Amino acid sequence: MIVPLLDIKLGLLLTDALIFLLLIFTVAFAIYVSRTPHLRSQWAHVLHNRAGMISMVVLSFYLVMGLLDSIHFYPKVESGEGKVVYSVQLDSVLDKILAPIRIAVEKTYSAPFATNLYAKETVTVDGVETRIYPRLKHGGSHLDDPENEKSADILSHTLQGAFKGTLVWLLLAVLLVIILAYRNKVSLSQIISSLMRGKSVTPWRSALFTLALVVLLIGVCAELSVYYHVFGTDKVGEDVLYQSLKSIRTGLVIGTLTTLVMLPFAILLGIMAGYFRGWIDDLIQYLYTTLNSIPSVLLIAASILMLQVYMTNNADQFNNLTQRADLRLLFLCLILGVTSWTGLCRLLRGETFKLREADYIQAATAFGVGHFTIILRHILPNVMHIVLITVVLDFSGLVLAEAVLSYIEIGVDPTTNSWGNMINSARLEMAREPIVWWSLAAAFLFMFVLVLFANLFSDAVRDAFDPRLQGSQ
Amino acid sequence: MTETILRVKDLTTRIGTGEAAVDAVNDISFEVSRGETLALVGESGCGKSITALSVMRLLPAAVHIVQGDIVLKGQSLLQLPEARMREVRGSAISMIFQEPMTSLNPVMTIGRQISEALRLHQNAARDSLNKRVVELLDAVRIPEPQRRVSEYPHQLSGGMKQRVMIAIAMAATPELLIADEPTTALDVTIQASVLKLLRDLQRDIGMAMLFITHDLGVVAEMADRVAVMRGGEIVEQSARDEFFSKPRHPYSRDLFNSVPTLGKRGHRLAVVGDDTGPLDAVVSPLHSRESGDPELLLRVKNLKVYFPIQKGLFKRTVGYIKAVDGVSIDLPTGRTLALVGESGSGKTTVGKGILQLIRPTQGSVEFANEELTHLNSAELRKRRSGIQVVFQDPFSSMNPRMRVTDIIEEGMKAQGTERDAAKRKQRTMLLLEQVGLRPEHALRYPHEFSGGQRQRICIARALAVNPRLIICDEPTSALDVSVQAQILNLLQDLQQRMGLTYLFITHNISVVAYLAHEVAVMYQGRIVEHGNVERVLNNPEHEYTRSLLAAVPHVPELQSL
Repeated sequence: MIVPLLDIKLGLLLTDALIFLLLIFTVAFAIYVSRTPHLRSQWAHVLHNRAGMISMVVLSFYLVMGLLDSIHFYPKVESGEGKVVYSVQLDSVLDKILAPIRIAVEKTYSAPFATNLYAKETVTVDGVETRIYPRLKHGGSHLDDPENEKSADILSHTLQGAFKGTLVWLLLAVLLVIILAYRNKVSLSQIISSLMRGKSVTPWRSALFTLALVVLLIGVCAELSVYYHVFGTDKVGEDVLYQSLKSIRTGLVIGTLTTLVMLPFAILLGIMAGYFRGWIDDLIQYLYTTLNSIPSVLLIAASILMLQVYMTNNADQFNNLTQRADLRLLFLCLILGVTSWTGLCRLLRGETFKLREADYIQAATAFGVGHFTIILRHILPNVMHIVLITVVLDFSGLVLAEAVLSYIEIGVDPTTNSWGNMINSARLEMAREPIVWWSLAAAFLFMFVLVLFANLFSDAVRDAFDPRLQGSQ
Repeated sequence: MTETILRVKDLTTRIGTGEAAVDAVNDISFEVSRGETLALVGESGCGKSITALSVMRLLPAAVHIVQGDIVLKGQSLLQLPEARMREVRGSAISMIFQEPMTSLNPVMTIGRQISEALRLHQNAARDSLNKRVVELLDAVRIPEPQRRVSEYPHQLSGGMKQRVMIAIAMAATPELLIADEPTTALDVTIQASVLKLLRDLQRDIGMAMLFITHDLGVVAEMADRVAVMRGGEIVEQSARDEFFSKPRHPYSRDLFNSVPTLGKRGHRLAVVGDDTGPLDAVVSPLHSRESGDPELLLRVKNLKVYFPIQKGLFKRTVGYIKAVDGVSIDLPTGRTLALVGESGSGKTTVGKGILQLIRPTQGSVEFANEELTHLNSAELRKRRSGIQVVFQDPFSSMNPRMRVTDIIEEGMKAQGTERDAAKRKQRTMLLLEQVGLRPEHALRYPHEFSGGQRQRICIARALAVNPRLIICDEPTSALDVSVQAQILNLLQDLQQRMGLTYLFITHNISVVAYLAHEVAVMYQGRIVEHGNVERVLNNPEHEYTRSLLAAVPHVPELQSL
């Protein structure tokens, strides 16, 4: 598909399609919730929860990054003969935004905010060969005397970035206040005073505070990364900040799509085993015990190798490296999903076992309610909290599993940016003297923040959906 | 004048802090002397357990004593450091709890659990320790104490476990025993023997006893003096005989009047703080019923429910547990049959067998001249509206994630009795009104209601599909006596107005005496005696019925009000 105004051709990867499908589902569900009064009042509890609100702000940053990185296109390349030619290389919107730091490639390692390379090189100065740390091509190249000017320069850019960030934040805050005033039909000053005192039902003050932090950080990083490598560069001189931001999409894809694959197996089989018992239960139990006793690494390795063979034999099906890497990512999600449903399935089986003896299920049976309706109306909502918690815990586990699998080279494609690949490549450099720590630190930081706030968010959601807790709030 | 063991003075115990704080116990004073039993009576939430925990200084973190003094033999307990208090607990004061099932450690033999309690307070050699354990088990009337020493809690029955708990409490011959509803979880015959045991031990050791209960019958058997608690305050304190002949406080009188008895049959029971009057609204039956002679509605013939015992890899059946072993019942329209028995007698299984929630192994269940046991599940589903059920536990009998209106409408939807959504809503409102709830309750969730209100919702849910027979499985045994009175009144009103038939499963003889027309006594899966209520209760023929009736604690009836 060609977008005429922007001179680009859209390209859709398989995982992109699935991500947008998931997004459409989520939006549809959100609309459904907002139109159903009692569901809306439950989700309102998430909004009224301070931790929930804060983690939503942080998670939305990740989400925006991931989504921007999921809109792919073939950029136009200049051709001499006036013909429109598109590159065979797929770019994403995020690539376009991060272009300044993407193209700022150095020769090899450089430390965060460094102006010189991390490795010595032999250069000829005035006919004499000396080994020095040469200046970087991009990082701090605008400085004449790095040693004396650097700290002042960093400070001034930090302040500039912070100023721009504050402006953006003020804009967003004013927008929020206007929207709130319009919706609640009160004056602006009333809204502002209730926000300042933290009296609003929804903890807007905390949300705005978090937003301020996030926007300030983005502003400072954006300003500084034009002149410096904020997180340094890796072995081939690529900016580590760029890599970390690109890895967000991989993490989100592994975390969400895998769960999407896993949930139908786990929920359907788990509830069926617990509800019907008898031979159905036996069958499902044998199935997951068998699956569980096969080392999952073996299964994953086998299927990834099979895929490799397939891709080598059908090389003509793939236009570029990105498509190949993407298929491998999707396949990894599938196989991880198939091997990881057993834990949740077992939990759900046990819980359903307990629930089906509950008096309200007996009462429903006495009303002649069908099995399917009982499962849908009585059992599923009462095990949903387990599903929700498991999904979020698995999310963090899967992001970590990706790192482990990359380590033994059966994870995502080596060309895909992922925290696992970053850690894997940083592993060797940990033994180096002086140590190269920034790749690991950056991957760790991004992963840690994502997993932490995902957990906080799931806590808020669980509390909101537990009727017994609502009374105490 | 005997020695005063425990003196509680102006005690106030508060839950929470700041504006949300509630005084769970409000300025109460009482004394217990050596060899005396003070019964602390009240309904759930009145602060009686908090009082006991205050004395033990075992209050939960959010609860603290704000005022008053607790003196044990001249020593103020509130001044003691925690280390000294630990010595007091178990040696000077012991406590037994309501639930014997969860009070014992399941992975330790009972001998070790008792000797552990002994070791804490006495330095004795192993041999003499073992001897003392056996003595204690013997003292609490456990047969073959030598053998029982090495058994685990799961090998003992509920009554035995409570005896072991008493043995642990007695290990250090305490000055004061606090018994917090020690027999509430037990069957009446076992309750009678445990109560007798406590009385004997008290006489032998001469300890003081603070006995917490909600059961006036138990009070009559145990107490020397009675203190009635309500809303954190002691409203009346008097000697036993005086209390039972002339209760002074109106609340005490209400308590007496809300106890169902044979003498109160046909009258409404007094209720405490009931905000609902007699029924105004009556939901008319969907289809009119022919009146006339009471026809036979339910006929159960030789019902047997066996549960197979399976062993081995291929689940070979090696034997059966005969939960119900040949039960026959005839129940005419508009009558109430009470099925009485102790736990494990199979009475609940009979109810489920009639409902076909458990398919009977053998026998026939004929409802309105139609055999239910041969129906397949689709045919059965169509006939589900005829028989409905109200369960014992008002907390687990409703889906916590559904609103009241959805709960009540579920049956109407499943049975297709009311296809129009607006009419369903209307009927739900009428049903709520009928059971004494307000229309705005419809949009709330079950956890927002009290136990009694929940039971009303369950009754409304059962009524929604217009049943002819309601199986009430211990519907009031989880409720306080005044709330029980409300539910019994409601059930009786509904029966009179709608001609309902009840199969009332219970262990509570006084409820049977008040409500039932006929009674069937179950024992080990069989009905041992069956007949008119007055005949069975006054002239029991079977030996088991006689021992059951003898074990029921008797509440002396008030002569004049």
